[in-house]
Parts: sequence; C-alpha cells; structure tokens
Amino acid sequence: MDDEFLHHQRLKAAVHFTVGRFCQEIGRDCQKEFSKMAIAAIAETTFRQCDTFAKDLEAFARHAKRTTVTMEDVKLAARRSTSLSNYITQKSEELTSNNKEQKERKKKQTGKRKSADSLPETEAVGNED
Amino acid sequence: QQSKGLPKSYIMSTFKHFAKTAVSSDTYPVLKDIMDKYFDRLADDLEAYATHANRKTIEVEDVELLMRRQGFVTDSMPVDVLIEKYLPREYRTLLKPMATSGNKVIPKQRR
Repeated sequence: MDDEFLHHQRLKAAVHFTVGRFCQEIGRDCQKEFSKMAIAAIAETTFRQCDTFAKDLEAFARHAKRTTVTMEDVKLAARRSTSLSNYITQKSEELTSNNKEQKERKKKQTGKRKSADSLPETEAVGNED
Repeated sequence: QQSKGLPKSYIMSTFKHFAKTAVSSDTYPVLKDIMDKYFDRLADDLEAYATHANRKTIEVEDVELLMRRQGFVTDSMPVDVLIEKYLPREYRTLLKPMATSGNKVIPKQRR
C-alpha cells in the first residue's frame, strides 16, 4: 500500500517535471508566465487524464479482441476532435514510414554483409545514405 | 408534418419523469435538437466501434463500449444493473438470460 503510494508520487513528479518544461516553453513563445499553482493544476489534470485514457484504450483493445493496444485504438480514442485526430493520423503515418525505412535499412545492412564479396555495388549504394 | 426521431409525447414524458420540477412546453424544441444531435453522434460512434472490431454489424458489445465511454457503465456500475434499473420487464427479458422450464436459458448466453 505504502509502496504503491510512493510509486504514484514518483510518477506524478515525473509528469509535473515534464509539464513544467512544456509550460516554460509555451510561456517563452507567448511571453507570459505560468504560476506554480497553474503548473501543478495542469500536471494533476494530465495525470488523471492518463487514467481515463488508459482505461479507454484498454476497452478499445479488448473490444477488437486484442490484448495489445495499437495505433488504431489511439486513433479511435482521439476521433471526436477533428483537428486532434488529423494530427494523430499524420503522426502515425510518419511513425510507420520511419519504421519501414529503418526495417529496410536493416535488411539492406544484413543483406550487404551476406553478399559483401559477391556484390560490391550494393555496398556502394548503402554507403551513400 | 412528418418528423424524424422520437415522438414529442415520449420525449416530454421521459424528461418530466426525470426532472424533479415542472417543465414548460417550450423546452421541447431545444430537447428535440439535443436528441437529434445525440443520435447523430451515437450512430457515428457505433459505426466507428463496429469497424474497429472488423465488423459491419453493430452488436451489443459496441453499445456497451459506447456507454462505457459515455460514463454510464463503470467498474462499479455494470450494464446489467442499468438494464435492471431503467428498462421495462419485457425488454429486460430480451437482454438478460433467464432460466426457464426444462433447464433452458433464454436468450442464449453470448459469452
């Protein structure tokens, strides 16, 4: 019980730290300052929002008969707000394309090592990027 | 005048039942507007949930998920309790499995 409480506090502190950083950045952009109370309130809101968000995502994953939360669940959770869902769809596309690139690079590298002697041309192409 | 949606008398009587004070009749246009919007969103959400589970048919699970997101169904408030509380008996018997003679359960349990 006590251990769980400590864990909770540590998580909250981490959220508070990150929220503080974000607020600093936003404050610098808008040339306004956030009071400490405001930052604490935002941190608390974020923390509780995570709770509901986690529950929603879990329900969505279970609904699709999965035990792993995927990008589709996140998109579904953000569906109600058009701008947010657009943003998230765009980000997810970026992520998937990045993943694909990395995988292809890995494939190239492993393929390169295997055929390094027989095909020196592919090595040259690989070195370029 | 043919209008879509629930009949006026039904909406007003339900609203009056849950409102603890007197309700004037000029609330009806606003209520109707709200109900129309509510059902639009409902249909939209249910469609998204069904496609999320790779289905084309909306099923009870989708409605349950929707009510969970709306905050009606929580860990401390299961669907069965809500059915028990708000639905008349003839609808309740359609939704809740019940043992009948010959050791048969009607309707068949889904899960």
